[in-house]
Amino acid sequence: MRPRLLSLIRRTSSTIRQDVDAELQFHIDARTDALVRDGLTRDEARSRALREFGDLEDARAYIRRVDTAIEQQRRRRDSMSELRQDIAYGFRTLRRAPTFTLTAILTIALGVGANTAIFSVVHGIVFKPLPFPQPEQLVKVWSANPTAGSMQVTVSAVDLDDWRAQRTQLADIGGWWYADGGSGIDFTGSGDPQRLSVAFISPGFFPTLGVQPALGRLPREDEMIRGGNDRVAVLSHGFWQSRFGSQRNIVDSTITLGGAPYRILGVMKPEMRFPSDRVELWIPFSTIPDNATPRIRPVRIMDVMARLKPGATLAQARQDLNAITQRLAATYQENTNWGAATVMPLADAITGDVRRGLVALLAAVGFVLLMACVNVASLLLARSTIREREVALRLSLGATPGRIVRQMLTESVLLSLIGGAVGVAGATFGSRALVTMASGQLPRTSEVQLDGTVLLFAVIASLVTGVLFGLAPALRARGTDLQASLREAGRGLVSRSGQRLRTGLVVSEVALAVVLIVGAGLMTRSFIQLLGVDLGFRPDKLLAVNFTINTSRHTGQAHRLVYREMIDRVRTVPGLVAVGAVKHAPFRGNGERISFVPDGLTLGGGDQAPTAPLFHISDGYFATIGARMIEGREYTVQDGAMSSPTPGAPPVFSGTPSLIVNQALAEEHFPGTSAVGKTLRLGQTRIPIIGVVNNIRQTSVEEPVQPAMYINNMMNSRVGVTLVARTRGEPLAMANAVRDAIWSVDREQTITSISTFDQFVGEAVARPRLLTILLGLFGTLGLVLGAVGLYGVLSYLVSSRQREIGVRIALGAPRGAVLGMVVRRGLLMTAAGTAVGLVVAFALTRYLRDVLFGVEPTDPMTYALVVVSMLAVAGIASAIPARRAATVDPAIAFRSE
Amino acid sequence: MNRDAMELLQGTLDVLILRTLAWQPMHGYAVSRWIRERTEGTIEIEDAPLYKALHRLERAGCVSAEWGVSENNRRARYYRLTATGRRRLREEESAWRRYAAAVFRVLEPA
Repeated sequence: MRPRLLSLIRRTSSTIRQDVDAELQFHIDARTDALVRDGLTRDEARSRALREFGDLEDARAYIRRVDTAIEQQRRRRDSMSELRQDIAYGFRTLRRAPTFTLTAILTIALGVGANTAIFSVVHGIVFKPLPFPQPEQLVKVWSANPTAGSMQVTVSAVDLDDWRAQRTQLADIGGWWYADGGSGIDFTGSGDPQRLSVAFISPGFFPTLGVQPALGRLPREDEMIRGGNDRVAVLSHGFWQSRFGSQRNIVDSTITLGGAPYRILGVMKPEMRFPSDRVELWIPFSTIPDNATPRIRPVRIMDVMARLKPGATLAQARQDLNAITQRLAATYQENTNWGAATVMPLADAITGDVRRGLVALLAAVGFVLLMACVNVASLLLARSTIREREVALRLSLGATPGRIVRQMLTESVLLSLIGGAVGVAGATFGSRALVTMASGQLPRTSEVQLDGTVLLFAVIASLVTGVLFGLAPALRARGTDLQASLREAGRGLVSRSGQRLRTGLVVSEVALAVVLIVGAGLMTRSFIQLLGVDLGFRPDKLLAVNFTINTSRHTGQAHRLVYREMIDRVRTVPGLVAVGAVKHAPFRGNGERISFVPDGLTLGGGDQAPTAPLFHISDGYFATIGARMIEGREYTVQDGAMSSPTPGAPPVFSGTPSLIVNQALAEEHFPGTSAVGKTLRLGQTRIPIIGVVNNIRQTSVEEPVQPAMYINNMMNSRVGVTLVARTRGEPLAMANAVRDAIWSVDREQTITSISTFDQFVGEAVARPRLLTILLGLFGTLGLVLGAVGLYGVLSYLVSSRQREIGVRIALGAPRGAVLGMVVRRGLLMTAAGTAVGLVVAFALTRYLRDVLFGVEPTDPMTYALVVVSMLAVAGIASAIPARRAATVDPAIAFRSE
Repeated sequence: MNRDAMELLQGTLDVLILRTLAWQPMHGYAVSRWIRERTEGTIEIEDAPLYKALHRLERAGCVSAEWGVSENNRRARYYRLTATGRRRLREEESAWRRYAAAVFRVLEPA
């Protein structure tokens, strides 16, 4: 077909110009000749021809433009058809080498899949903006006590009101009190009684977030006045669906919460999950009575956020709040040391703790992808040597080197896209699994999904991967020396440059693997340290049942009797070893922080008394959880004795108040002496210490234990109870029996949660565990990929040098020497890679410092172990091809090709 | 026919070119002569729009062009009607015939 052939010839702009000129010249000449034949003189003929033609220059310019457009059109069409050809050719080539193709696709799927899964998590938690209008204007605010070095303390509701009234740079400011499993309310009246999870909010809460309800309205300011009689609630979308079947007429109806009627004002949109996914109701903080949470400045329990005025900066907000806190510090004696506020972007505050770990994961998984790239590149490289003949043939048939490179890149991008698609399919499961493994210890997990951004990431990752691993072999193909490769390909010689490139790939791969294993090793050692921490109690076989005694049904002192009765009844349940109770179980709250004055401490004018959390416990609590008394004794039933002051009157607490302190408090305030028998002044009362208990990790496994005080719940009663039972067998198997014992005292008692101390500890270490598992996984992957890469290159080397090895053996080289030669080569490459890797790891792991516990990022032990394991694995990976080399039949040397 | 009337009819240049090339492939000069001879000078055609139209038709895929050797042994650009061009010619021809017939029906004395 002639036109098709023609299109192979590229017309440049100068050839177009020449062609147009020639065509027009031909016309003028032909016409002139004809007119001369008719009898005109040549000059007359020429000018007549030109006249007949019309505007020659205009035509010339027009034709050039059209021809240029034709040429462009043709080039576009050609390159499209070339691409189609390349893709079809690529598919054929890949199908012809199924083992290679499958290996490459799986390797890429692994790399891209792991990256997509991790990215989806990091994107949802760290990168995605908060789901509120202008989220960049939102900041988190804390009270700060610079003297005590406490810079991020929750805020007093009283202070918050003043902040809101005096603010100048903030559009609004609002607070909430929410504690997972702690801030709740009993929901009765329709079906089974249920404990609802509530966020108690200040008037500024919703306006600061800038959210609107899906149904109904938000509470008005006048419905949130302290001491007011308005009981209103807003439902979460999830709770509305599950409990009220999405009925729209729920708005303005009344439900019974904590024994009182509450009007439902509205339902929030599904995406409103602040401050937690678990919130079922938002209720004004004003509904909490003063006798439950005193409205005094030292009671600092609210989380606070604010919205900057449009155009206001973080620094201005900081200035504003610091000015206000300083004024309050000057005015109110109890605020003397609290003349500062800490302000940071809300997004940072939410993801702050986990950001480092997640970014470390993203980096690690990126390394895995790089290693996958290197492995596939080295596979392709091995193949490209085999394919050198094919390339040479195509070159000699007239294909341009550029065309060959493009064809090879098309092939590798094809591979990477197929691998990427498989990887994304795997990532959908992976990212769910990650979120599950985090056991609720990651914020914003509801935002984790494979959305457009994540898919875009996967596509880009695949494309970049394809180009990256395809580039080296493709460029090498371009440099193919026609003569040499046609000659060499027959003889199975390895070109020097190919060998160097492969060695370089293996070295860099080993280096990447070493960095990954160092990270995994450090994290694992850190996690082992973490698990080895003495918690101060034995978490195994401990059942924890959390509930709140209802004071509207058990009025006056009655709730104390209920508490007593419940513990006594549970103690009769067979199968339990010991039973006690505490308001805040370890990792489930940090007591009530109050100030105290120990014996011998005199406070000067501006001095603040030391503070420590106070925990409300029952008799026998320490024995139950397996804590040890260092000195003195723990509470007995007698310490909580109640009796009627006059016959017939309701009984009241009739024992002597006393305290138990932990070792940290005893050592800090009574160093070198016995704390038992000393007193602490709480408020105006001096209370004697009757015992010292060992340090119990209460807030986290990592942080050292701070001073703490314990008081008998019969002396100073709280209605929030975590009943703790040590069981003979599996703790959760006892759950029903324990619950029935509680219900035998009060059938309407709602149970907030039933869990085990092992779960508490598990959740407390969930984040480091997740990080350890994932880094460990990536480290293992790195080791395997590195070993496979090394193995591949050495096997290739052995098989391509079979003749040479055969000759050596034929000439009398001992087989051991041949084996040693190959292994030495493998170990040499590994050593080089390890050296590079150690340097890189040394530079990078310091970013892990924040997530490591009890291990330095430069831990020599870890580094030594990594070097040993890398060399061991490399040795094994080299031994297999080395054995093959040693068994080469020397006859091969004499065989003809 | 005066010049103004000619302007209106210029749109028909394409169909004249396609019709001409339907006989055989030829170069631009031959197309020009062929049309002039066929119309016996009734329609005055300038060559500039003719060449423009040829290249325009090439771009539209109605004709293809390649270099060949002319009767007097010179390099000349030969145009050949493509399948697309043939289809286009059929369409334009019938449209043109219907148009001309309609004009004649008006001009015929009743």
